[in-house]
Parts: sequence; C-alpha cells; structure tokens
Amino acid sequence: MTDVFALLGHGFAVAATPINLFFCLVGAICGTLIGVLPGLGPVATISLLLPATYALSPVSAIIMLAGIYYGAQYGGSTTAILVNIPGESTSVVTAIDGYKMAQQGRASEALAIAAIGSFIAGCIGTVVIALLGPPLALMTQQFASPDYFSLMVLGLVSAVVLANGSAFRAIAMIFLGLLLGMVGMDLNTGEARMTFGLVELSDGINFVALVMGLFGVAEVISNLEGASVRIVNKMRIGTIWPSFRALRGAWGAVLRGTALGTLFGILPGGGATIASFSAYALEKRVARDRSRFGNGAIEGVAGPESANNAAAQTSFVPLLTMGIPTSATMALMVGALTLHGIAPGPMIISRQPDLFWGLIASMFLGNAMLVIINLPMIGIWVRLLAVPYRLLYLAIVVICAIGVYSVNNSSFDVYMTVGFSALGYILRKLDAEPAPLLMGFVLGPTVEENFRRSLITSHGDPMIFLQRPISLALLLVSAALLISIMMPAVRQRRVEVFQE
Amino acid sequence: MRSPARRGHNTDFYSGLLLVAVATVALLYIRTLSVGTVLEMGPGYFPLGLALVLLGMGLCLAIKGLFAEGSPIGSFHLRPLICILLSFTAFGVLVERAGLIIAILAQVAIAHFASVETRWRQSLVSGVLLAAASAVIFVWLLKIPVDLLP
Repeated sequence: MTDVFALLGHGFAVAATPINLFFCLVGAICGTLIGVLPGLGPVATISLLLPATYALSPVSAIIMLAGIYYGAQYGGSTTAILVNIPGESTSVVTAIDGYKMAQQGRASEALAIAAIGSFIAGCIGTVVIALLGPPLALMTQQFASPDYFSLMVLGLVSAVVLANGSAFRAIAMIFLGLLLGMVGMDLNTGEARMTFGLVELSDGINFVALVMGLFGVAEVISNLEGASVRIVNKMRIGTIWPSFRALRGAWGAVLRGTALGTLFGILPGGGATIASFSAYALEKRVARDRSRFGNGAIEGVAGPESANNAAAQTSFVPLLTMGIPTSATMALMVGALTLHGIAPGPMIISRQPDLFWGLIASMFLGNAMLVIINLPMIGIWVRLLAVPYRLLYLAIVVICAIGVYSVNNSSFDVYMTVGFSALGYILRKLDAEPAPLLMGFVLGPTVEENFRRSLITSHGDPMIFLQRPISLALLLVSAALLISIMMPAVRQRRVEVFQE
Repeated sequence: MRSPARRGHNTDFYSGLLLVAVATVALLYIRTLSVGTVLEMGPGYFPLGLALVLLGMGLCLAIKGLFAEGSPIGSFHLRPLICILLSFTAFGVLVERAGLIIAILAQVAIAHFASVETRWRQSLVSGVLLAAASAVIFVWLLKIPVDLLP
C-alpha cells in the first residue's frame, strides 16, 4: 500500500513538470472542445492529433491523448444539457433529464452535478487503476504465448460486443482488420507480404493514415451530407455552483454511477457508452418515484455522467496491464504508444514507470483542471457552438492532410488516407462499423506472433489453446460473450440500447 | 419498401461483395508467399487463413443478401465525397512540388465545393489564415521538412 503511494508520488513528480502539465491542459481543453462540438468525436479527434504527438515525449503524448478522451466526457454533457444535443454518444442519456432540468431553469444545477460527478468518478476510477494495475500486470506477465493469443481473442470479441448492428458483420470487420494488419514485412523471415510491390508499404499500412481516413475524414464527409444544424442557445446560465440540497440528492447516484462505470471500463466489451446507458437504467430502477425520470431527475444526470467518466479512466486498465484495447479509443492509444516505440502490455508498469504513474497522476490533475475549465468558463464553450461547420471542416481537412503528411513526410500516406476515407465512407453506408476493423488491425501482428509461437512450442498441436488453464478460461469467456450477444433476447436489448 | 427488389440490393449483399473482393486481391498476393506447414509456418500461413475466412464470411453475407431481404444501403452523397477526396489528393500532389502554402490553398479551394453552405469569401479568408497558421506552427515551430513555396 505504501508502495503505491510512493509510486504515485513519483507519478505526480512526472505529471507536474511544466511540459506535462501543459499538455495535460491542452488535452483537457481539446477534449472539452470536441465534447461540446457535435459531429466530432474523441476517436476522430485523437486520430487527428496523433501526428502532433509525434514530436512529444511518449509520456506527454499519452497524457495529452488521455486528457482528450476523458475531457470529452465532460464536454459532451454540456451540449446535452443546454441544447439537447449530446456532443458524444456517452452523453446521450444525459440529455433526457439534463435538458428537462435546463428547461425548468435548473441548467446550472445539472451542469454542476455533471462536472462534480465526473470529477469524483474520475478520481475514484484513477485510484482503481493505481491499485489494480500492478497486480494485474504481474499476473499477465505469467502468460505464455497461447494465453496471450486467447487474451487477444477476448479483446477482439469485446470489439464485437461494442459494435452497433450485426455481430456477424462486426466479426467480418475484425478479420478485415487483421488481414490489413498483415501487410508489410513478415516478422520472422523479413519477406514483404501483400505490399503490391510498393516500398512504402514494407513497414505496413500507416496507422495514422488508416485511422484518419476511416474515422476522421469519413466522418467529415458524412457530416457534409445534409444541411448543418444551427444551434441557438437561449438558455441563460448564471453562476454555476450547486445548492447543497441538490448535491445531497445526487450523492448516491454519483457513487452508483462511479461503481458501475469503473466496472464497465475494465470489462472487455464494456466502455463508456454502455456504462452511461446502464447507469441511467440503474438509477431508474432504484428510484422510489420512477416518474421523475424524463422530467428532470438530477440522478438521471449524475449517474450516467459519473459512469462515463469512471469508465473512460478505467478502460486504461486492460490496455496498460495486458496490452488489450477494449474500445476504438483504446486501440488508438495502442497506436500512439507503438508510434513511440512502446509495446503496450504487462511490461509497461515495470519498464516505463514514468509513463504509467505519470499518466495516473495526470488524470487526477486533468480532472481537477476540467472542473475549472467546465464550470466557471462554460459560457465560452457554449459560444463555440456558434462556429459554423462550413468553416470548421475546412480547418479539419487541412490539419488532417498536414498531419498525415508529417508522420513520414510522404505524399504516399496522404493518398493512402484518401483510400481509407473512401473505404470508411462506404463502410458507413453499408452499416458496417469501422471500430472492429481498427481493433483487428492493431492487434493483428501480436495475434499472429503469439499464434505462431504457440504452435511452435506445441509442435503443431492446436489443442494447446485448450490445454493451458488460463488460455482455456479466456477462450471460454470469449465464447460465452459471443454466444450471449447472438442470443435473441440479448440481441433485442442491444438494438434497444443502441437506438435509444 | 418490402418489395422483392430489395433482394440483392441491401447492405448484406454489398458488404459481402466488398469482403470477397478484398479477400480475392489478398489471395492473389498471398499466392507468391510460402505457406509452410503447421510445424513450420511460412509468412503466408496466417494471412492465407485470414483471407480464406474473410472470403467465406463475404460469400455468406453476399448469398444471404441475395436471398433474404435486408436493410437498404445508405444513399451516397457524391459531392462531399469526391470534393473531399480530391482535396486531399491535390494536397498530396502539390505539397512536395509547389510547397505547403499552395497545397493548402488548393485543398481549401477544392474542399470549399464539398458543402453547399460555404461562402467563397469566408473560405478564402479561412484558406489564407490556415496557410499562415500552418506555416508558423508546422514549419517554423515543429520544423517539418517541407518547403513553403515552390
């Protein structure tokens, strides 16, 4: 226990250096900004800013990117409450009661509880990472390659659970991603694979080009399809500090949301969006008077907002301790770490203590910054909504192009972005989500490596995956998850949740 | 929308087709790699397996789409699609030949036509501001090795 505190102290020393504080703040501000602006999600933004982190140290880079992710959870609630437009999918349920509260003239109360709930949840979630991270990493270090392979399978299955729509198609997208991940040099023989004879592809498909095309640019193109929505905010927001009465009413909801979010963030197939939906459902279930929900119940804001932020923090646990991303955002973090030459996995905590403890400490600082950014300065963010998309998208495409180009100073990467943007747009039209593809792409090389190594140790016997208890357990969990989402009852609920 | 015409014209069919196409191209290139055996896997072993699974899943989807009704594909908006993709291509072509500033101006000029709501005066100002800001941030501060002008 004292150990954790000593290490945390070290983390604070890392995070509190002026440069890391600065990038933590930049991340928090960027996150709030994109959280407020509808039509620009954390996945797109992090992919946009990936090249910019190239010049930074890995610690500053990951601190900033993490700040964007949890910052977006704060910002997303602002527009959900004030104008009934959730800036992020994680704030969809917040809009239900949050907007009602705003209409009743309780906007400041809703905004305050969202920020304070998020802050409490963020801090508790961070403590959970600090406590859970080291033992989990130690456990994962005992894993042999078959166990790793099965762990990756579990990670990929979680991508299916997260995907909206048909599970079969999500699995197909994973395989497409895995296949794309194979492009480039074979690790064992150095032979070029599926490079179409292009030298530029010998290092594999450029990660930044892939994510920017699939998520960033494809999103811009779909946003340009229809007329943009003009958002007019007529709400007057006074000083934003909640009354004690309001705080007392929401106290339980904040803690329940935090607990739920912490759990969902760690579990494969969880994530911030599902956490917020579940928290809303839970609040409705435990409430004495259910009719208040939908009519401005403060618990309906406090629960989901705490849950999404807790999940945003704890979803770093599987990434930093086991090397498996549990969502598209975390897959981006894998890419960011890999760009800096760090392999995500159980060795991070022991080999890169600065990174792990620095990130954790920065989350405390970042959450504190976000309360300040969001509460007294809320007027500025709301005014930003007035920036028309017709100006915004021009800036986005230019930053995108320079960003992709600057990674390798190569025009080829820009052309590759064009290709992936087209693919991303087509996939959207075909109701196939690109997130599972990204997970497959990121995990592809590790999956292959561990698969090959396992079969070499077992002399070609595939039963090795079932003979090792850890591997067997992981595969059973994966199978159970897959079967459960294929079951008609669960399927129906999934559809409902995504359509709500 | 319940007419049989929906058969063969739904998301299942086309995503299946897309997967089959990708898998086929991949298989053509995997052909030249040595596959090896389970004991001694070559560079082609894993990709071959993946491509075959993808081919199988693609065929299943396509056949399902042919014989069952599915959800219709979303309508394509060619104007934003083509303009945005072209704007990136122009940037890629021009950045090394004509310098960053011209590349950005060209990109903004083409991207301008992606939306019906843009006004040329605003786009012009944004283009100039973006070019100036990029020159300062990316070339002077971040020192990306790229020429500003031809």
